Amino acid sequence: MYQRSVELAVGVFMLLGMGALVFLALQVSGLSMDSQKDSYKVYAQFDDLGGLSVRGRVSLAGVTIGKISAISLDRESYSALVEMDIYKEVDNLTTDSVASIQTAGLLGDKYVAISVGADEEFLADGDTIFDTQSALNLEKLIGAFASGQVDI
Amino acid sequence: MDYSAAMGRSGVFLLRALLGLSFSLKGMQLLVTQLYKIGVLSLIIIIVSGLFIGMVLGLQGYNILVDYGSEQAVGQMVALTLVRELGPVVTALLFAGRAGSALTAEIGLMKATEQLTSMEMMGVDPMKRVIAPRFWAGFISMPLLAIIFSAVGIFGGMLVSVDWLGVFEGAFWSNMQNAVEFEGDILNGLIKAVVFGAVCTWIAVFQGYDLIPTSEGISIATTKTVVYSSLSVLGLDFLLTAVMFGSI
Amino acid sequence: MQAYIEVKKLSFYRGHRSIFKDLSMTIPRGKVTAIMGPSGIGKTTLLKLIGSQLKPESGQVLIDGVDFTRLKRKELFKARAKMGMLFQSGALFSDLSVFENIAFPLRAHTKLPEDMIRDIVLMKLQAVGLRGARDLMPSELSGGMTRRVALARTIALDPELIMYDEPFAGQDPIAMGVLVQLIRLLNDALGLTSVLVSHDIAEALSIADHAIIIADGRVIGEGSPAELKSHTSPLVKQFVNGLPDGPVPFHYPAGEYEMDLVGMDESAS
Repeated sequence: MYQRSVELAVGVFMLLGMGALVFLALQVSGLSMDSQKDSYKVYAQFDDLGGLSVRGRVSLAGVTIGKISAISLDRESYSALVEMDIYKEVDNLTTDSVASIQTAGLLGDKYVAISVGADEEFLADGDTIFDTQSALNLEKLIGAFASGQVDI
Repeated sequence: MDYSAAMGRSGVFLLRALLGLSFSLKGMQLLVTQLYKIGVLSLIIIIVSGLFIGMVLGLQGYNILVDYGSEQAVGQMVALTLVRELGPVVTALLFAGRAGSALTAEIGLMKATEQLTSMEMMGVDPMKRVIAPRFWAGFISMPLLAIIFSAVGIFGGMLVSVDWLGVFEGAFWSNMQNAVEFEGDILNGLIKAVVFGAVCTWIAVFQGYDLIPTSEGISIATTKTVVYSSLSVLGLDFLLTAVMFGSI
Repeated sequence: MQAYIEVKKLSFYRGHRSIFKDLSMTIPRGKVTAIMGPSGIGKTTLLKLIGSQLKPESGQVLIDGVDFTRLKRKELFKARAKMGMLFQSGALFSDLSVFENIAFPLRAHTKLPEDMIRDIVLMKLQAVGLRGARDLMPSELSGGMTRRVALARTIALDPELIMYDEPFAGQDPIAMGVLVQLIRLLNDALGLTSVLVSHDIAEALSIADHAIIIADGRVIGEGSPAELKSHTSPLVKQFVNGLPDGPVPFHYPAGEYEMDLVGMDESAS
């Protein structure tokens, strides 16, 4: 009888542990079946990342459509090469889309915002977005403002 | 000299403990009994500590973040702190104090009262009968306890920030979900817990098995278990953090 | 006299200190043999060497013709099923009841059904007179009872050899009488070989058929109790008669007493 209740308690303990893991996975990290969506890769080159980091968001009209999968330096052009995973279902980004680095709020995370153009053709896996805007550099901006060279 | 000899002994000991688990019905019963003693009986302290640490994190986080108007981020702060660091580390420290010291004292007393020797004389290997089930039970219990600790802690943080301080619940969860990655954070935290569990149990069981069988020897070994486990956990935590999160 | 255990040229060191040097002895089959000697000369170590819990530096231990020092770990565990050892503290498993303690070796070495295990355990408990105590935990037993339960556990598998480590130490006269009687009875009834290590000379000699006295890592006297009592060696005489001073000095080695008192001991300066 004693062994029986011990077994029961251990079983409950195991279930509790598993339940907690499921809770952490689903509720805390927001892991869901569709988060491992199929995606395709698109590249963009920026002069200044301004704090953009891997795993950052890629958004279109404020909706997340992918994430940044890698950042590296392009040795030839001395600019940053950003590799983005864009969800498969968003397959109609035009080839003349503009990628710009933006900030969520004043001090929030950096993310890449994409705005589409009017081209008839769409970006495919491995394509590069040529029209980019680098991060708004707050210090440069203040510096320019102080020396009276404001042109925005 | 003595120290490296002890390291050698403990290495051989670990190997024999790992291989000593028997998958027979009897072996499983022994394992279940030890899971009860090591895991289930540690649940209370883990749940209570987790709840309070989560609540404190929620309260402190709120008070800091509210100055920047970003109190919605309290959820991600609580969750990341718990899942990455406090969950595995605090659980391991509590585990060393609650279960580790008990393991050392129990095995030590069995040695001091010649129970281990008499078992050997009866042709029963104490590595299989006594050590292996305890080692495996600790190894299995610790990650489960750490996960429960984190989950309860996040619940405690939510209790304080959402129910008490009035953070908007939707923002609390969605910010958390945006910030916490399953692989990067939860799995890495789990790996930490597994490593800490193995190290703490190894130290506890070895100290018990290797001690000088007198009452003074038992008290020294019990103290050593808690001190060595705590130091190893904190040191390893730094190493693992550097490897896992350092490059980001 | 047929030998059951033969110890041949056994040497054993603890650190650099020699405990036994070229020790040889023979223990006869079916008899109660007492191994005696002053405390601290490694009698318990000798039992552990016979049971192969310790490995000697050199020499052989033959039990029933098998060299135990050469056995592999697995074979050794198997071979130990036919020997039992009664420890000084009893060494009952503190987390098991009296019944489970005695059932332990049976469950470990046999695949007997539960009702047969129950019968055997009750028989063994009856033999030591503690059938009524089967549900007690070891912490609830007195010292004498603990040793009797341990004895019941030792004979659970009907061993050929039982080794007793200081069976009489710290027992009251009644418990001691019971144990003396039990050891004798079990030896004769089960036809086993008993080896007991003791420094309680009177009790040990009263039940032993054969006695061996060890000192300084070697055998100094051997024979039946009567032979030993009339032994000529001064060392044996001192030990058997319990004289305080003799070849085994009363004093731990020290400097001259008077010199020490007036503070002029050369070793202290």
